[in-house]
Amino acid sequence: MREVAVLGVGQSKFGKFPEKSAVELGREAVWAAIKDAGIRPKDIQVAYASRLYDIFVTAQDVLKEVGVTSIEMINVENACAGGATAVRCVWKEIASEHYDIGIAIGVESMTTSQIAKKAIPPGKDDLDGHLGLTMPVSFALMARRQMEEYGATVEDFARVSVKNHQHGCLNPFAQYQKEFTMEEVLHSRMICDPITLLECCPNTDGAAAVILCSMKIAKRYGTNPIKVIGSALLSGDYRYRQKDITFSAVASKTAKMAYEMAGCSPDDIDVVELHDAFAPEEIVRYEELGLCKQGEGIALLRSGATEVGGRIPVNPSGGLLALGHPLSASGVRTIAEVALHLRGQAGKRQTPHAKVGLAHMMGGWATGLEGGPSCGIHILSR
Amino acid sequence: MGEKIPVREGVFTEGPDGGALLANQCTSCGQIFFPKARFCLSCFEEVMKEIALGRYGKLYSYTVSFLPSTHFEAPYAVGYIDLAEGIRVFAPLKMLEEKPFKVGMEMQIAVEKLWQEGDKEVIGYIFIPI
Repeated sequence: MREVAVLGVGQSKFGKFPEKSAVELGREAVWAAIKDAGIRPKDIQVAYASRLYDIFVTAQDVLKEVGVTSIEMINVENACAGGATAVRCVWKEIASEHYDIGIAIGVESMTTSQIAKKAIPPGKDDLDGHLGLTMPVSFALMARRQMEEYGATVEDFARVSVKNHQHGCLNPFAQYQKEFTMEEVLHSRMICDPITLLECCPNTDGAAAVILCSMKIAKRYGTNPIKVIGSALLSGDYRYRQKDITFSAVASKTAKMAYEMAGCSPDDIDVVELHDAFAPEEIVRYEELGLCKQGEGIALLRSGATEVGGRIPVNPSGGLLALGHPLSASGVRTIAEVALHLRGQAGKRQTPHAKVGLAHMMGGWATGLEGGPSCGIHILSR
Repeated sequence: MGEKIPVREGVFTEGPDGGALLANQCTSCGQIFFPKARFCLSCFEEVMKEIALGRYGKLYSYTVSFLPSTHFEAPYAVGYIDLAEGIRVFAPLKMLEEKPFKVGMEMQIAVEKLWQEGDKEVIGYIFIPI
């Protein structure tokens, strides 16, 4: 396996754009990544695109808008980890020397999809889904156990939302560039007790793209390229083996694989982007990623370490809560965000002197499997 | 009176005592599965026997959803119940004003109508605080 570099990153603005198609959003992100990389569209040799709703040759449809046709294009789906999956696929293509330069695209237009203004419907076989297990329900059940086992309070959950909305104010691409107080979060509409409206990620339209290439090519474009030093993707185990719903075995295992490959430990990580679809979730992810010990996530949050300006900023972009969550785009966008911090180009939300960053994304639901049975983690360094 | 259909074939039994969940158990390693597995997912033994699970359990977690789901109007309550056999079941819960939900509280199964589908009554399991 050879080393792989991040050559270009781009994203569309995230928000509600019912007037824009998924292809248009995708084109914006791809064009931004191509400009950022400084390449010609025709230099792209392979493409992977991820899209959950209305999927139909997304890569072909988006790339035809920028003059890219007649190359190998593959479309993938892996719930919220779809974007991370697309990036990993391109990474494998380059690392294994099948191609020298490729693009990963994640795109979702929630407002123009068939699930617009609806909850995600359960599959025919999803018994728990038919019995009322929605995504906010699953995270509310987890949150209740965090309160029971580790003394988490509703104020802790609100604090995650307050923090990530503060971060969103620093990001011009964010859907919500507005601060909320603890009181406003706690008193927003109850969705699934104890999770309130402002502790849920919004429905979002948006796209992101990442261009990866061999180190040889990267050095033609700059002297100090950002490297992908860890890439791991795993699926979850059966739920009957899971004793504690406040700790995801698949996230923890994926993180260990990524750290091992990168040859680093959680202590080496300077900035993290992770899946915070619901505020209580961010706290358990701290523990699964090894940013602190199991059960100490609340203390880490309360210490302020995960705020922009703290020891280990988590979701400086605003995260899914404030930046927004176009499902398949988020896993590409988190990697793009980490790359910006490592380059020193993250604007007002910049993590000072960031050398190594981690991007996590997970998702999906299937009766019989642990929650979020799809998890992808990438570690980048400069 | 409309026709009654189960939410899923073979996952519960309606008895005179109020019904129970139907699981299956591996005849080799003893692992229990709910819903039933086609073969043992732990040791891959193919011979499985059906068992009725105990009718009582402890509430592991719960929530009240203020958003409707595909079949339930809001608010509705759901949770995980830990049964004595070591099985954790997701199920709708009955809200009783005099018995607010509390982690660890004792729960009992009931088999009853969950929702209406056209002229059919969909029957399934719920758990009730005791």
